[in-house]
Amino acid sequence: MSGPVRLELGNGAVLLLHEDSTSPSIAFRGSVRAGAAYGPPGVAEFVARLLLRGTTRRSAAKIADATEDLGSALAATNGVESVAVEGRCTRETLKPILAILSESLASPAFPAAEVEKVRGEILGDLRAQEDDTRRVATRRLLELVYPAGHPYHRDPKGDERTAAQVPRTAIRSFHEESYGAANLILAFSGDLDEDALRTVVADAFEDLDAGVRKKPLPPPKSGKRTHEILPMPHKSQADFVAGRVALPRSHPDYYALNLANILFGRIGLYGRLGQKVRDTLGLAYYSFSALEARHAGGHWYVNAGVNPKNLEKAVAAIRAEMERLHREPFTDREIRDGKDHMIGTVQVALERSSDHAAALHDIESYGLGPDYLKRHPSIVQSLDADFVRAKAREYFEPGACSWVASGPVKGAKLAF
Amino acid sequence: METIAHTLDNGLTVLLRPIPTSPAITVWVGYKVGSRNERPGITGATHWVEHMLFKGGGKLKKGEIDAIVGRLGGKFNGFTDTDFTIYFETLPPDHLETGLMIEAERMRNAAFDPQESESERGVIISEREGAENSPKYLLSEEMWHLAFHVHPYHWPVVGWKADLERITREDLYTYYLQHYAPNNAVLVLAGNFKPRDAMAKIQSYFGGFRPETQPPPLAVKEPPQEGERRGVIRRPGTQDHVMVGYRVAPLAHADTAAILVLQGILGGWHGLSPFGSQFVSRSNRLYRGLVDKKLATDVAAQHRMQADPGLFTIDATVREGADPEKVERAIVAEVDALARKGPTKAELGRALRQIRSWHAYDLDGPTAQALLYTWFEVVASHRWLDELLAACQKVTAEDVRRVAGTYFTEPNRTVCTFLAQRGTS
Repeated sequence: MSGPVRLELGNGAVLLLHEDSTSPSIAFRGSVRAGAAYGPPGVAEFVARLLLRGTTRRSAAKIADATEDLGSALAATNGVESVAVEGRCTRETLKPILAILSESLASPAFPAAEVEKVRGEILGDLRAQEDDTRRVATRRLLELVYPAGHPYHRDPKGDERTAAQVPRTAIRSFHEESYGAANLILAFSGDLDEDALRTVVADAFEDLDAGVRKKPLPPPKSGKRTHEILPMPHKSQADFVAGRVALPRSHPDYYALNLANILFGRIGLYGRLGQKVRDTLGLAYYSFSALEARHAGGHWYVNAGVNPKNLEKAVAAIRAEMERLHREPFTDREIRDGKDHMIGTVQVALERSSDHAAALHDIESYGLGPDYLKRHPSIVQSLDADFVRAKAREYFEPGACSWVASGPVKGAKLAF
Repeated sequence: METIAHTLDNGLTVLLRPIPTSPAITVWVGYKVGSRNERPGITGATHWVEHMLFKGGGKLKKGEIDAIVGRLGGKFNGFTDTDFTIYFETLPPDHLETGLMIEAERMRNAAFDPQESESERGVIISEREGAENSPKYLLSEEMWHLAFHVHPYHWPVVGWKADLERITREDLYTYYLQHYAPNNAVLVLAGNFKPRDAMAKIQSYFGGFRPETQPPPLAVKEPPQEGERRGVIRRPGTQDHVMVGYRVAPLAHADTAAILVLQGILGGWHGLSPFGSQFVSRSNRLYRGLVDKKLATDVAAQHRMQADPGLFTIDATVREGADPEKVERAIVAEVDALARKGPTKAELGRALRQIRSWHAYDLDGPTAQALLYTWFEVVASHRWLDELLAACQKVTAEDVRRVAGTYFTEPNRTVCTFLAQRGTS
């Protein structure tokens, strides 16, 4: 397999390619560093949702018709740090679909009617979130884990108040100041060669204004440890989440902590945590841990969906598994298996063009280097087992975690 | 790309899709058993059996499937549907035998340890309760319950809670032994392997299994629907939802191609994958008639394509302040308009191009390919996948109008509404 191709345009946009002539289609994944963290509350969500809904040249309906007439697909989704851009097309439809994407990035019109439609959609999503035990608990946990004032603290979608009030002028301003090519990365995988990248793809984006490259966000400090119980008495199942501030993706300890997290709550059927809470005790359909490492910082959390009558037992079991890391640290065999898992996962993920494009995008976004896929096995193999165990004890510490329980939880006596 | 088909002497169907450049190999086994094969009292047994088949037996100790696949960085899972149960492992290419060994043990040697069956009861009930938390799940359960009075599509795949509380280990094990046999299964490989070598390995792992006498084909036929059926759920919540269902032909039917094209025109096309899509179609009739007109915040249409005559559903989330009755009327108006006048030339052309392109996107990688070929083989035939997509390209505007007029009628319709009781959640 030849290595990926990287092309930086004069305006700062970065294009990446993994060529696979056996694929019958092309997938692309990318981002604009213009997520919720960089704008006033709620505004980035509007911009992302409106990006493909009308330009100064074409209405929302015409953009939709043109995209779907090609048999192609485009999407833009707001996130905390970036807006994710993705699409599918074939070699034949590459040029026209990139023309639509480029036009949408450069000159969205934010038509008033579409703004109001999107306002209703965001409010609808926020209300759906309020009625979902897992999303309620997870959202609240992030507000507890990250201090107020840090961009990671707030919901990327904003809240009902901001969604109801965001004016069109704020949407336009945020787009103008944030959607420069210097903040754009686009990775392609599939039936596309380097010549086409340097001509068709580069042509589509080389005229975008460079704009101003976004500065890194400040690293988050830990919020004060606390907890909340959020009763939703009409629900059948409760959700429990506990977590804390962890590391940014670029931190030298990231790989060790990631391996520790895999062993604790990911590998197989949710690692040690799933083995105990789901498999042995039969208390939950899902019980896992997750490490979310972003550019400026990150967090680690556990989550379980539990029948309310089993909630206290499940919470105690989660805590016990964390405490067990002191008495029974990961064995050499577990560490070896976890390393093999990390290496194999990266290889197997490349089976899909869309996932290959996503991997190229992430490597660029986090500055991991063009030879990262080659280096990854040796990075993992070089991890020191005792250091991994120490990171598990340091981070998976119940006393350092905030926690939230939501659902039919009134009267539950929880200690974590 | 070529699909190589074989049948072992014991009746196991084998499909091979070699992709020599792929960095992975995927092993899928589908069984022709789903919730349609259950009976009242053991609803949910198929799904529970699926869970039990991750708990070892034969050469595999409890937890070993997860450990082996996890160690290799592979993907694995199982799905239970109304018509089938499917398992897979996607692994680095030099681990074909690992996948075959796991699936061979799963086919005939599962342990069904009584203690494990009992602890899994809590997991299964938890899965059901998690689903009950979602208004859309409740609405869907109500829809199928109302639309089918006699056929097993009447009950949910996860099963009724009362049954889940009483099903025994013996119920599950008997069900397993009856349905998990080579002559009721299809094995699909896709990815980086050599067909001749793979067939030798398949023969060695599966060739020794004896076929089992299968129960007679399901004889239950749902009587024709003779009038609209309606259901309302009133529960605490934050959003109203409307779901409209029409009884339609099964997957292996000459009208399926036209119904799929109709789906593209009505609700947009996102490929055949049953797992949805992150892409939103905004050029379809329902989006223009409901979302553009601020009646709904989202709307989707889906033909589930089942073994027996099933349902085509349209579901919409009612926009705050809009009237659910108006949403229902708007959905029905769009369907009726298609039945009266058929699609425009532009709409038809767009739907056909979408279906053609999305077929290429659907085949992105071994896992995605094997999913489609396994699904089609267990419900109809893998050949039908290619034939159906070719048939779609021949669908005319008149075909779309005809199927709309045949299936999408008032007597064939079921309407379910979730009315959120605000302020009580």
